[in-house]
Amino acid sequence: MLSLIAYIDPGSGSLIIQAVIATALAVPFFLREQIARLVRGLRRGKPDDRAS
Amino acid sequence: MIAAAPPAVPEAPGALQDPGSFRDPSGFIFRRDDTIYRQVNRSFAREWDDLVGSGLLHSLQAKGILIRHETAPLGAALRPDLAHAMIRPEKLDFVSYPYEWSFGQLRDAALVTLEAQTVAAAAGFTLRDATAYNVQFQRGRPVLIDTLSFERAEPGAAWLAYRQFCEHFLAPLALMARRDVRCGLMLREFVDGIPLDLAATLLPGRTKLNPGLLSHIHLHARAQTRYADRAEAGAAAVSRRTMTPLRQRALIDSLRRTVEGLRWESSGTEWADYADNTSYGEAAALRKDDLARQFLRDAGGERVWDLGANTGRFSRIAADIGRRVVAWDIDPAATERHYRRIRADGTTTILPLVLDLANPSPGLGWANAERGSLEDRADADVVLALALVHHLAISRNVPLERLADFFAALAPGLIVEFVPKDDPMVRRLLATREDVFPEYTIEAFRAALGRRFEIVAEAPIEGSSRSLLRLQRRS
Repeated sequence: MLSLIAYIDPGSGSLIIQAVIATALAVPFFLREQIARLVRGLRRGKPDDRAS
Repeated sequence: MIAAAPPAVPEAPGALQDPGSFRDPSGFIFRRDDTIYRQVNRSFAREWDDLVGSGLLHSLQAKGILIRHETAPLGAALRPDLAHAMIRPEKLDFVSYPYEWSFGQLRDAALVTLEAQTVAAAAGFTLRDATAYNVQFQRGRPVLIDTLSFERAEPGAAWLAYRQFCEHFLAPLALMARRDVRCGLMLREFVDGIPLDLAATLLPGRTKLNPGLLSHIHLHARAQTRYADRAEAGAAAVSRRTMTPLRQRALIDSLRRTVEGLRWESSGTEWADYADNTSYGEAAALRKDDLARQFLRDAGGERVWDLGANTGRFSRIAADIGRRVVAWDIDPAATERHYRRIRADGTTTILPLVLDLANPSPGLGWANAERGSLEDRADADVVLALALVHHLAISRNVPLERLADFFAALAPGLIVEFVPKDDPMVRRLLATREDVFPEYTIEAFRAALGRRFEIVAEAPIEGSSRSLLRLQRRS
């Protein structure tokens, strides 16, 4: 159900292509997100880190 | 700021709906006397209450992403028959448009839009639109000005503003970075963003090797063409609800990385003007700084327009004595450098913009009134026109009388530099052409200005043959 207050034309092709692009990007993005989270977690775990 | 277009609907007297705010049924901007209001319409009542209750607006405002506002009395609404709520957003220092922005300004406007979407998505909301006209520069930084742009995200729903983001931001940025920075001016023609098929044709083939540009411009353009007459396919795609939160985040992240990956560096055109200002030696340049500062002090007022500002040497002098400055220059490289410096220094009282004074921003959009012309927005107390007149009078063949009329239309106060024919810069302008400017003398200059202004003060810039004049417009 399209939003009732979506006053701009989203464009059929735009709706379709973004799903294709986002699906292709999802796994690499997820991996990058997880690695970044890991790196942040490791940095926080270092003994000379001040408590956040 | 608001051009006086005749209202199409009955309104309360003394108030005027902004001619650029009428497409979104959820509400609109209007002005009463000197105050700007945003009316929230009944059709958006549920969404507005939800939005206010969610705390998202506060969060965006605290992060400096969204313009701040206060609630306003409902009785002050312009269209009480439609109104659900009223807010009074913070008044903008100056209204500028994407075709007047340098590369970095458009880029930062794009990034703040994506930041808004990221913050909204984390709170369960989404941007309803992503037009570059929803961003303005306030205290030197880009900020979203459409408080009503947000609505609850439907689970799995596609981002409806994706097309608009690509056309308003990504396409012009890609063209400026990868083809020519002057492509930014195309936004003056394509007021609803640059069509992606056009961007795809104009961009170098190498851009297809960039995953972000390949996806969001080239493939996007092809999909638009393929599905142009197939609205049912689009509606079907939306109803399938395939955009999970992870895919949404991945899409926004990809757009952000694509924008950040676009870089533009000038080829050095802004240094030509540096020479223009110092071709007569450092001592004379400092003397000019002192004179400009003194004349700015004497002229008083609050708002200064620095015409031909280049990288802002004199804008800074005006800002240092407490003026609010809008700095205009024809060279996108100079404006870019000026903008970068402002961001680095945290300057809040200067707004650099790109403009050809001989072809300034006209009224654009619906009824030629949606986007105000340069003169519509002229609200300066003083115009600063240093190292400028010889460019307009000689390179652009504008008669001195017409220059005087132009300055008079912009502000009551004028500080102008006259650069005579024996100056090295003017000799350079005349080097390859016939001297058809017998009237280009200081006497003729004084006479031309004298028709519209009274000369209050005049001083030579010692060490050069130039002089600075301070004038007041005749009533």
